[in-house]
Amino acid sequence: MAIETTRARPALRALLAAVLLGGAAQAAAQPATPAIEGVWKIATPTTTLKPVAGAVPFTAEGRKAYEANRKLRAQNKIDDYDITLSRCSNPGVPRLALSPMRFKIWYRQGVVTFDYEWNRALRQINVGVPPQPDLLGQGLVPTATGKSKGHWEGDTLVSVMEGASDRTLIDDLVPHGYDLKVTERYRLLDADTLEDRITIEDPAYFTHPWEAVVTYKRQPDAIFPEDVCLDRITAHKPAFPG
Amino acid sequence: MTIPFPFPGGRRSGTVASALALLLSAASAPALAQGQQPPAGPPPGASATQAPPAGGADGPPAQGGQLRLPPGASAGPPAGGPPPGPVLTPAQKLVAELPPPGPGVLPPRPPLPADAAMPASDPRDFQGTWFNNQPLQFRSQKDIYGAPAPYTMEGAKVLARRVKSLAAGTPFINASAICRPPGPQWQRDLNFPFLITQTRDYVEFVFEEYHGRWYISLDPQRAPLPAAKQYMGRSVGHWDGNTLVVESSDFRQSIWLDVDGTPLSAKGKLIQRIRKVDDGGHVPFLEIATTIVDPTYYTAPWTIVRSYGWIPHQAVFAEYNCEEQVGDPSVSPDAGLIPEPQE
Repeated sequence: MAIETTRARPALRALLAAVLLGGAAQAAAQPATPAIEGVWKIATPTTTLKPVAGAVPFTAEGRKAYEANRKLRAQNKIDDYDITLSRCSNPGVPRLALSPMRFKIWYRQGVVTFDYEWNRALRQINVGVPPQPDLLGQGLVPTATGKSKGHWEGDTLVSVMEGASDRTLIDDLVPHGYDLKVTERYRLLDADTLEDRITIEDPAYFTHPWEAVVTYKRQPDAIFPEDVCLDRITAHKPAFPG
Repeated sequence: MTIPFPFPGGRRSGTVASALALLLSAASAPALAQGQQPPAGPPPGASATQAPPAGGADGPPAQGGQLRLPPGASAGPPAGGPPPGPVLTPAQKLVAELPPPGPGVLPPRPPLPADAAMPASDPRDFQGTWFNNQPLQFRSQKDIYGAPAPYTMEGAKVLARRVKSLAAGTPFINASAICRPPGPQWQRDLNFPFLITQTRDYVEFVFEEYHGRWYISLDPQRAPLPAAKQYMGRSVGHWDGNTLVVESSDFRQSIWLDVDGTPLSAKGKLIQRIRKVDDGGHVPFLEIATTIVDPTYYTAPWTIVRSYGWIPHQAVFAEYNCEEQVGDPSVSPDAGLIPEPQE
């Protein structure tokens, strides 16, 4: 899954060479073929992101919102707290880490793309694309997956996500606010095991940062069937297939 | 924040929705409202049986010389007086009398940085980020030679029904409006980026919009395609020199080839010829010529072509989350569109 990333236009070669010699070229720099590329699936399916130690450290506000979600679930008022289950809305970060189906990781042009089988969801981590003028105002609106900025620490991909909508959940129940910050560290435990070490921060909802770990097993490469969550909802089936 | 999408071209959230809505809603604008593009119908003074001039949005500029052009195509400025127009079939006349499509515009994008990574030098490696860099074609009315599309009467009626419903402010539900995959041609036509990845056995297009994926198996034995029918069809490709020829068929349902509703039946097929063009000194571009084969709606195969610019600096996609809006109980689940009558 390698790609040739740089082939300077002849007219620009001299300039590019000068920039490279100056050590300033960052745009196209990336490891040749990061080993985290491939097809993956969660090792132990779960709907809950469990802290590595202890319980989720809710603030009073966070606890209140969490209990409200529990009550809504008991009342089967799903759309009032979880629009992923009710509408197939993008689960966002970090909940996408719990996706029960396969996903692909591509690393192209300084961008790590998570290409999910579930509902053809998409999430990207920007590792090397320089900031561009926001001519369409795309950065003005919070989104389910926020903005993820990444860098490599050796073979570990470190991603920091901010700017998420408060319409998503941490998992199937835990809420968060606009100040959510999710730091992820992706690394291979072995050739076929990928670890995502997740740190959750949101001072309004959690008294201190807390950590969770999700692992994935490598899967054979394959063309994914076209998964359309809304077709399941229309057929009165759950958003996430059992 | 979400913004309902007022047009059957789909919906998306945020300010991008506004831009896209503005872009697409121009389709319902009165003819020549922006005064930039002549109507696609007969030129002033021409009879109703005359075709629009060649060199339109779907075709190359008209050329003189001894080119042998297919029936219905014109070949450049005539020596004396207007060229004789082709004789339109009743189906083509029906389409020619429709309100013209809206003028497409391009969303603003930052220019390619001088130090941008270039596409791979291998002509068979299409990987990277591209986008349709020509104004959106709301309605593909002409083939690559500028000849009117060879509609059957059934095809013309379907298109006319859709265009009239739009003009009347009661557009029909289509796949995009209900957040379903709208088909390969629609996906490729939108002026938003897509990522191409390749392995030995398959090519995958990952589109920014509609959660779009277009898989092309290069070896159905090694990279089997799903058994169930897909909205995006079943696509198998092979190399013809450095051109990837992809046949897409077996669509789960009939699809709209463009936002005005140029039809393709579920039994129709698309033959895409994809190549990377490098003129040796500039940024390569991608070209996809699509042949539409569908006896239900067209009397013969016809071909359209699009070009795609290289935009690695736009490789971080905007989020597309139409489900958040489609499922909102406070708004109509079908965006206020109405079901299309079936034949």
